[in-house]
Amino acid sequence: MGSGEPVKSPIEKLNPLTKMLAIFCLGLATLIYPNSWLGLGIVIVLFGVAGMAHILKSFAKTIFGFGIPISLMLFFIQGLYSPKNKTIIADLGFAKLGEEGLLYAAKIVITLLVFLATFYIMNQTTYAGKMVAALTSSGINPQVGYLILASLNVVPQMHRRLDVIKEAQEARGVETTGGLWARLKAYIPLMGPVVMSSLTDAQERGMTLETRGFANTNVKRTSYIEVTTSKADTYLRAGLIIFLVAVIIISILMRW
Amino acid sequence: MDDLAIEVKDLSFRYRQTTHAALSHVSFSVPKGSFFCIIGGNGVGKSTLCNTFVGLIPHYFLGKMDGDVLVNGQSIIDQSIADLSSQIGLVFQNPFNQLSYTASTVAEELAYGLGNRGVAREEMVTKVEAVAKLMRIDQVFDQNPLDLSGGQAQRVAFGSTFILEPKILVLDECTTQLDPMGADEIFAIVKRLNNEGITVIMVDHDMERVAEYADQVLVLADGSPVLQGAPAEVFGDPRLADFGVEPPDYAAVTQALAKRQLIQDKLGVTKDQAAALVKEGLNHAD
Amino acid sequence: MQIDLQDLHFGYRPEHEILHGVDLTLAGTDPIAIIGQNGAGKTTLVKQFNGILTPTSGHVLIDGQDVTTQTTAKWSSKVGYVFQNPNDQLFLDSVRKEFEFGPKRIGMSSAEIKQRVDQVAELVELTDDLDTHPFDLDDTQKKFCTIGAIIMMNPDVVVFDEPTCGQDVHGDHLLNHIIQHLTAEGKLCVTISHDMKFVSQNFKRVIVMSQGAVQLDGTPEDVFSQTATLKTCFITPPPLTQLAQTVGFTATPFTTDAFVRAFEEERK
Repeated sequence: MGSGEPVKSPIEKLNPLTKMLAIFCLGLATLIYPNSWLGLGIVIVLFGVAGMAHILKSFAKTIFGFGIPISLMLFFIQGLYSPKNKTIIADLGFAKLGEEGLLYAAKIVITLLVFLATFYIMNQTTYAGKMVAALTSSGINPQVGYLILASLNVVPQMHRRLDVIKEAQEARGVETTGGLWARLKAYIPLMGPVVMSSLTDAQERGMTLETRGFANTNVKRTSYIEVTTSKADTYLRAGLIIFLVAVIIISILMRW
Repeated sequence: MDDLAIEVKDLSFRYRQTTHAALSHVSFSVPKGSFFCIIGGNGVGKSTLCNTFVGLIPHYFLGKMDGDVLVNGQSIIDQSIADLSSQIGLVFQNPFNQLSYTASTVAEELAYGLGNRGVAREEMVTKVEAVAKLMRIDQVFDQNPLDLSGGQAQRVAFGSTFILEPKILVLDECTTQLDPMGADEIFAIVKRLNNEGITVIMVDHDMERVAEYADQVLVLADGSPVLQGAPAEVFGDPRLADFGVEPPDYAAVTQALAKRQLIQDKLGVTKDQAAALVKEGLNHAD
Repeated sequence: MQIDLQDLHFGYRPEHEILHGVDLTLAGTDPIAIIGQNGAGKTTLVKQFNGILTPTSGHVLIDGQDVTTQTTAKWSSKVGYVFQNPNDQLFLDSVRKEFEFGPKRIGMSSAEIKQRVDQVAELVELTDDLDTHPFDLDDTQKKFCTIGAIIMMNPDVVVFDEPTCGQDVHGDHLLNHIIQHLTAEGKLCVTISHDMKFVSQNFKRVIVMSQGAVQLDGTPEDVFSQTATLKTCFITPPPLTQLAQTVGFTATPFTTDAFVRAFEEERK
């Protein structure tokens, strides 16, 4: 999740809970719908949404970067070796390409892509703090919210720390550049201080949290980050739910 | 008693898995509105004492505690650290360990404690802006606190504590990361809060600063109080050196001058006091 | 041993330069203090002395050899660097192992290491703690353990980053003793410090940094008498100097004795 403030766009302005609902509804609808066409349509619409959010380029990269290799792999495995295969489209000699397997693979791929695409858009357009604030105000345990945010912040901090420790060990004669073996050998003296200092840091950080009322009970937490539910949110949420219900009904009718 | 901010009653503490008591039979009290300094060598129990005031002992650090500490008349034993945080705030040495790790901007970091109290957003915004201005961190308002320099991060730590408006402020070697001018600036703010009625309890190695601000000084040695009084009394005490403390340079110099009868026999513990004595001594000679 | 900085520029990013053309020669054995406001570029400067950071333009020469010709690890036998936070540098399970680690890396003989361990432990007052886990030392001792670990490598130059931070009276005295001892052995000590009292009493040369450049460079008397420049660098002189300046003395005293002499001088 982005830690900096992303560029303002209509998508970014949405309440994070609306975006989470979108992941759920669109993903589930794709999964339930008997064939892959609905999912394909959703992915195409999501390209438009990514464009609105000014993240089209990286979005396309992610979707194709993930979509093409995973499709090839699944089409290959399912198409050639699925036990469901009855209708043979082509005979490659060493194996036969089956229609059922291909369709099944297409369904898996498109479902994964819908989840990936919606999640990617939420991730890129939602500020982590806002997300947790929204979750907290909707009633999740503040401790859980803390875990999400702290783990996001701890990683870059560990990185910075590791850089300093690397310098400190170089000053003691440890070679940290050079071949793989040299770097591996250098790894051990680096890990010790990382663990040691994390322990002391964690203790002091705990002191800070406690004295700032982290363990406060029976108070509804508030946040500096403003989370609003706009008209757009309300309409979109209603639309998403109606869409999901409609898909469920149509799917049942189609299978009848 | 109503006029005491802190009352320490025969307090002893030993950390778990240690054999040596960090504090033994400590008793003293801090009047409301005073500027109270605790001094002594490293490892004599100053930080342990600070942690007790805010309830981290006995609620966070494990160990064996005897005796009691009353904060505004109420025992720390019966209150949670979160309860105590509405009355007493702590700032300590390492600024980056005083960040909540929940905030991506300085503004959010400052607001963290208020959020835990459920303060409404409008009120939060007003307070955050005021405190950022006070600590002169408004120019880094939107930066990630983890990207700040040590000095700026310590200002954020101060701000995060001040914003909770504690009536008692505990400062445990809180300016070692700051350059002398930055530290002076922060102490000017602390002094102003003190003038407005906030009780300040400070642990510091800079004796010139202690002499400048304290109205009471407590010397701790090996977990027990050994001297207490106004700065002029404590810094004039010949036993001070035995307790690993050197008086402020001003005290030493006025003592040396008085010994040679160059100035009148009075102890100047602050720069202003010493300057007055020196000037008077020079004029006398004319 | 001589370190030459020639028109040294440095920035982590090209558009944000931190050091703006520093020319300095560090030589001899007189201990050198580097002072300046937070963010003045002190640590960034001393990290150039052993190639932890390398200039974006200009040169750092160690005894005439460009610092970029070999790694920091190689330079560590000539230029020792004590980091500010001991937790960044210590990682073994006893003080003795910490002491032996660096020397082994640079190929010191085991006989020499053995002999040095006892000497250095005595110097940093950790003789009784040689088999203690560094994690069990208090913060001050940890700092001296790091100092010992670097001195063990017998470098010609020892750089200390904020060694006075959080020290009590005894710690300050011990640091002073260590610096004197190293100086007597012919080593050059370079120290970053915020403690002006410590700086004025233990160093023969003081370098004032501000905004990524050297603003003043001279004896403590020279430097601390330049009140106007110090103000622009956000530096307050040591207490007794301030007192002398307040009452209008011409001398720049740092110690009680010096102040008393100055007083007698003024009275005449």
